[in-house]
This record gives sequence, structure tokens and C-alpha cells, in this order.
Amino acid sequence: MNRTLVVAFWRQRFMSPFRMAFLLFIVGVPLLITAAMPQAGFSIAGKLTGVALVFAIGIIGQDLSSGVLQLLFARPVRRSEYVLSRWFAAGSMSAVIGVGQAALVVLIMTVRGAAPGAPEALTFVGERLFEGFGIAAVFVLLSTLVNGVGDVALWIGVQFVCGIGGMLAQAKGWTWLARAAGELSGSMNPNLPIAQIAGGLAPWAPASAYLSTVTLCLALAVLVMNRRELSYASSNG
Amino acid sequence: MSTGIVVDSVTKTYRRALSGTSVHALNGVSLTIAPGEVFGIIGPNGAGKTTLFGCLLGFLRTDAGRITIDGHAPDDLAVRSVTGYLPERLVLDRWMTGRDFLEYHHALARLPERTRHADCATALERVGLDPTAAARVIRGYSRGMLQRVGLAQALLGHPRYIFLDEPASGVDPAGVVLFRRLLGELKGSGATVLLNSHQLEQVERVCDRVAFVKGGKVEAIETLAAGAEVARVVRVRWAGGATVTDAALGQAAAAAGASLASRGNTEARFAVPDDAGAARLMAALVAVQVPVSEVTPEESRLERLFLDSAPAVAAATTSPPANPGGAS
Repeated sequence: MNRTLVVAFWRQRFMSPFRMAFLLFIVGVPLLITAAMPQAGFSIAGKLTGVALVFAIGIIGQDLSSGVLQLLFARPVRRSEYVLSRWFAAGSMSAVIGVGQAALVVLIMTVRGAAPGAPEALTFVGERLFEGFGIAAVFVLLSTLVNGVGDVALWIGVQFVCGIGGMLAQAKGWTWLARAAGELSGSMNPNLPIAQIAGGLAPWAPASAYLSTVTLCLALAVLVMNRRELSYASSNG
Repeated sequence: MSTGIVVDSVTKTYRRALSGTSVHALNGVSLTIAPGEVFGIIGPNGAGKTTLFGCLLGFLRTDAGRITIDGHAPDDLAVRSVTGYLPERLVLDRWMTGRDFLEYHHALARLPERTRHADCATALERVGLDPTAAARVIRGYSRGMLQRVGLAQALLGHPRYIFLDEPASGVDPAGVVLFRRLLGELKGSGATVLLNSHQLEQVERVCDRVAFVKGGKVEAIETLAAGAEVARVVRVRWAGGATVTDAALGQAAAAAGASLASRGNTEARFAVPDDAGAARLMAALVAVQVPVSEVTPEESRLERLFLDSAPAVAAATTSPPANPGGAS
């Protein structure tokens, strides 16, 4: 992990007006709705996907397409160090904001007389913490494959294909396809279902699934980056 | 220990997956660059110069052959710790200020944090970028300012190997003079400099040797260091209305060891063996009563070398490249 790269990424994301406007919307609107309907509980704030996308879209692809990586990799920085720093920077920022939003939800619910139980609140906060790092890992991988912000198109495309596959499987009764679509869709949104772990028969299964997905994404991203050639000469011809 | 740069039979081919075509960007390139040498790379567009830079910096993988810098692979972190690079197509982190950008690269270069502020201030001063401009966001920089900041980052930490790809591209005349002075300073500091530039005069002024690259091959390597004098053509003009005979011009040429190439009503072209020959020619012309008003070299020394040593390269500069839009 490279502290300079992590801090520079945070600064770059927070100086993007578009990303900050989107973040404000994605964080603020659920809080307002929760204030209006506190009995709805945590379902309004829901998943952390939106917040994670603010930081993760174009996480590496934008650097690839802009050309800044040539100067970066002329420095004593390993490509694996760059990939992991990007993941940590996006994951940690998503997690911090996700946890902060969750804390505000709990506060609003409490003030509005619909205080959640401590286990329920802790589960919600914990799941958001891991979800941020999970989605960041997926986007790190997708972003090494396509330049610019093509990673989000790829991510949506995979989700769409999984959705179609799921519907087709249901119509035809193909359980293998339903399972494959479910697994692929799940791997695009890795999360750690803490409630399931706490009450399940095989508590380590979801945890190992989450960890293996994140590890696989990061390992593949490092592999792809190590094989990437960086030169406008190569892109031209 | 610094052992310089060794490029041994390097080959690089770009393959286009969709069309199935291949472009041979480098074809058995071999070079040896000694520590402290200022080495120029010139050639027409599409010759493979930028690809060679990409391989030297470890951005591109070679298909065959080997490159070592101080005995290490180009992408070894030990090499990158002593390397400075200014790319031709300079893309900086546009959201940073010029000073932020330098401090960012100072940190990436793993230079001491305690000297960061002072080192960056010195680098900005060296490239002539004032503190007010350095405090502005890079997004609003002109091309010349970008080049100055880019050069400042390349000089951070006094690297032993400096790769400059068209360093004076897009800068104003004052910037060109500044860059020329900085190149002179780098040469004096003992750094090994690789310079890719289309500005032959700039290359001629600072480089010890120069390689002519064409079609992915090194066509010739010429020494430009002092003592390596080459033949050149000088154009002599005389005051209008004066009568200057062929005999007088021939006599002066013979006395100076030069030869008369051609003449007109008020000027003549002489081939001289070297700079001293040009000086002798001027003295001889005055001695035979030619009212000389102007003497100018027809080509710079490097242009002469360019024409003499690599006529194919020279010819290619006036015709479309064989690899349009390809590796350069």
C-alpha cells in the first residue's frame, strides 16, 4: 500500500464536482426519506452500491486513458502497489461514508422514536463496511480491462446478462443457469451477510465466498496491470 | 555502480488483433550509452524512437533482445529510483496545482519528506515557473507551463538517467533558451541524458553522440563531441555591385582548402572541411579583395551529418512515413 497514492486518490475524488454532487444525492436522499418514514428502518438506506460507485467508477481506467500512468510508473512504484492502493483508497472511503450514513440513519430513527436494536444496527453498519471494499475490488478488476469509465458499463452489462439469464432459467426450468447467473451476479456485488453468518449453519461459507471473490478480483487486476503495455506508441500502432 | 545503458538486439512488433496486421517498430536495435553521456535520438516520424523510449523505460515489453540500465532491467525499482522522464505527450494530473504535482512526484520518488518543500521550490525555480503560477491548478496551464512543470518533475532528486522526449515542444522562445541551458547543466552534472528531439540544432548543441533511427533500425551513430569535425557548406554574400570573378573565388577556396560549389551574382557556396576551414576561407576571400558582407553555414553540423550519414533518413523526412500514425 502506498500512502501517497491513497491520499492523492481521495483528494482527486473529493475535488470532482460531479462525483460530490452524486455522493450528496445518494447519501442525503435516504436520510431525508428515513426522517420522514423512520419506521421503514434500514431498508431505505439499503445497499452501499451507490456510494461505492461514486469512488470506484473509472478507478484505474481513467488513469489508463488519460496517460498519467506513464509518469507514475517511471517512479519506483510497483504496479501491484498501485492496484492495491487504489482498491484500499476507494474501499476505505466508501466504507467510511457508508458507516457514517448508517450512523446518521440510526440517529434519525432514534430521534424519531423508532430506535433499532443494537444487534440490528451493528449488523447494518458491519455489512456496509465490507460491501465498500467488495465493490471496490470488483471495479478495480473491471477498470483494468477497459479504459475510461467503461468499467461501469461492463458492470451493468454483466448484471443485465445475469438478469436475462435468470429469467430464461426460470422460464425453462434450467437450474444450472439460474445458479450460474446468481453466482456471477453475486460476484459483481460481494458482501458479507453478517446476519446470515451469525445465524447460519455454515458461518464461514459466506465469509470465504466474500474473501475469495475480493482476493480473486485483486489478483486478476494485478495480473492484468502487469501485462499492460503503457505507451502511446503502442496504442497508435 | 553506474554502468550505463545497454540495448542489445531489441525487437518490438505491434500486432493489431482485429486486422491481423503487424508493425515492426524496432528491428534489432543495439546501442551502448556510457554513464554521463548525452545521447540524442533523431529520425523521421514513425521511425521507432518513442517505442525505443518505451522499452528503455520498461513501459513496453521487448519481443527479443535485452535492455539493461546499470545492469538491471529497465522496470527494476532500483533503476526507477534514479530515473527522470519527460514524455512527449505530457499528461499531468490536471486537478492538482503545479506545486502539488511536484510534491506528489517527490513522494512517489521516495525522496526525503523533510526536503520536499525546498526541493520542489528549487525545481520550479530551475524551470522558471514562479510561485503564483505554481499555486494554480494545472487544468489552466498553457502548453509551455505544462512542459516546465513536466521538466521540473523529471529533474526531482537529481536523477542519474534522464529521458527527455521532445522537451522543448510547445514552449516559447524564452523556454527554448531555458531548456537549452538546463540541458547544458545536466550535461555538466554528469547525468546520462537521452534526448529525442526534432530540433536538430538543440541536439547538436548538447549531445555527445546521436543515433539516426529509421524503420525501427539504427541507421548510424555519429559522434558530435568536440574534435569530431565534419564537412559543411557555407554561403558567402558580398556587397551588391562589386565585381567578383570566378578566379578570385577559386583562388580563395584553394588557399583555404575549400572548394567552390556554386556561385551567383552576389553570393557563392563553398564546401569547407571544418570550422577552421571556414575561418580560413573568410580570411582568403578578404585577401583577394572580395567585399564579404555575410557568411552563414548552409546546414548545421547535425543537418550535414544527417544528410551524409543517413541519406535514407533525410529523404524520408520529406516523404510520408512508411508507418503513418504508427510507432514514432
